[in-house]
Amino acid sequence: MKTTMKSYAILGLLLLTTFSGELSALSVTVNDVECVYEYVLYEGDTVSGNFVVVDHDIFWSSDHPGIDFIVSSPGGNVVQTMKGTSGEKFEFKAPRSGMYQFCFHNPYSTPETVSFYIHVGHIPNEHDLAKDEHLDPVNVKIAELREALESVTAEQKYLKARDARHRHTNESTHKRVIFYTIGEYILLAVASGLQVVYIRRLFSKSVAYNRV
Amino acid sequence: MAEKARVLLPLLLLLMLVRVQNGESVWLNLPSSGTKCVSEELHNNVVVVGDYAVVSDDHEHLTPIISSKVTSPYGNVLHHKENVTHGQFAFTSSESGQYLTCFWADHPAEGVGLIVNIDWKIGVAAKDWESIARKEKIEGVELELRKLEGAVEAIHDNLLYLKNREAEMRGVSETTNSRVAWYSIVSLGICILASCAQVWYLTRFFQKKKLI
Repeated sequence: MKTTMKSYAILGLLLLTTFSGELSALSVTVNDVECVYEYVLYEGDTVSGNFVVVDHDIFWSSDHPGIDFIVSSPGGNVVQTMKGTSGEKFEFKAPRSGMYQFCFHNPYSTPETVSFYIHVGHIPNEHDLAKDEHLDPVNVKIAELREALESVTAEQKYLKARDARHRHTNESTHKRVIFYTIGEYILLAVASGLQVVYIRRLFSKSVAYNRV
Repeated sequence: MAEKARVLLPLLLLLMLVRVQNGESVWLNLPSSGTKCVSEELHNNVVVVGDYAVVSDDHEHLTPIISSKVTSPYGNVLHHKENVTHGQFAFTSSESGQYLTCFWADHPAEGVGLIVNIDWKIGVAAKDWESIARKEKIEGVELELRKLEGAVEAIHDNLLYLKNREAEMRGVSETTNSRVAWYSIVSLGICILASCAQVWYLTRFFQKKKLI
């Protein structure tokens, strides 16, 4: 009797660990609409995550309108919407279990790369277990600890993606400083040379003398 | 003996469950023509384990086949498979940069998109906890705490990595800052130089033409 309970406890614990594993932050290129699906096992699970648009070289406008992010539940209802953003964190409690759809909409024709991370967290409660088992408070505490560590990891992934975007902008600024400055010098020299040539021609003998 | 079987059987069942349904995988839409790529920026010495499978609901038609390719940031192909419905790969990153995983449908005759289930784990999540548990003969709460310890170490490593990246970026920023100041002063100097040269040249020219 005791070993059966122990085996079920081990099974329960290992089940807990598999269904709240870690997903890594993937990047996907959004041309128009890009949808990612994630399966939520239990109703009431907290789905959390973040996404960051990694900057492409936008030439003139410093504020791109951003992309839209829409989360749909398996029934088709929209759970969350974020419009015109370049990176956000989101968190919601899943109203039902099933396949959730996370969609990115790109309103412009330039493709954007979005780095996203989605995590489904589950804290075991009385409803999960069979009737003849007891909920060990240690399991609940460990699950809560794991969820807290997951939130720190998610925050780190968000920071890493933002850092990548910032680094992109920085390197672009660095390159722009060099190219535009040297181009400016050359243009300046060429413009002053052209001015001198023009004034020379104005005073040349082939044109009427002192016409100016 | 019977007790051992009672413990092993649910464990075996669980291992099968882990293989068949891991709730943290991401599903992606593959267009019928063209490639769909996901990427991730990884640093050096990270263990990556990936698992992909084509999801098909209908058992009347054959499961569509896809090809996949994983490339390192310097262009080396780490995994390349053609005409499969599922596959897996594992590698340790030797270069730091963006790792690209691309999928494409081999026979786009169907005209409809496919759905690919991608399970991509890096770092601590890619560790094979079952073999570690078996080797060191730990189980239950101790195994859970070991996993949490692994997660905390991963968080620490990530923090150090982020700190180093931030230091690099700060170096680039400060270089750009000093360059902007220096190049602007040089630009002003060139402007003054060009106008002085123009005035001197034109004075000499007009004096030669005996206009002054």
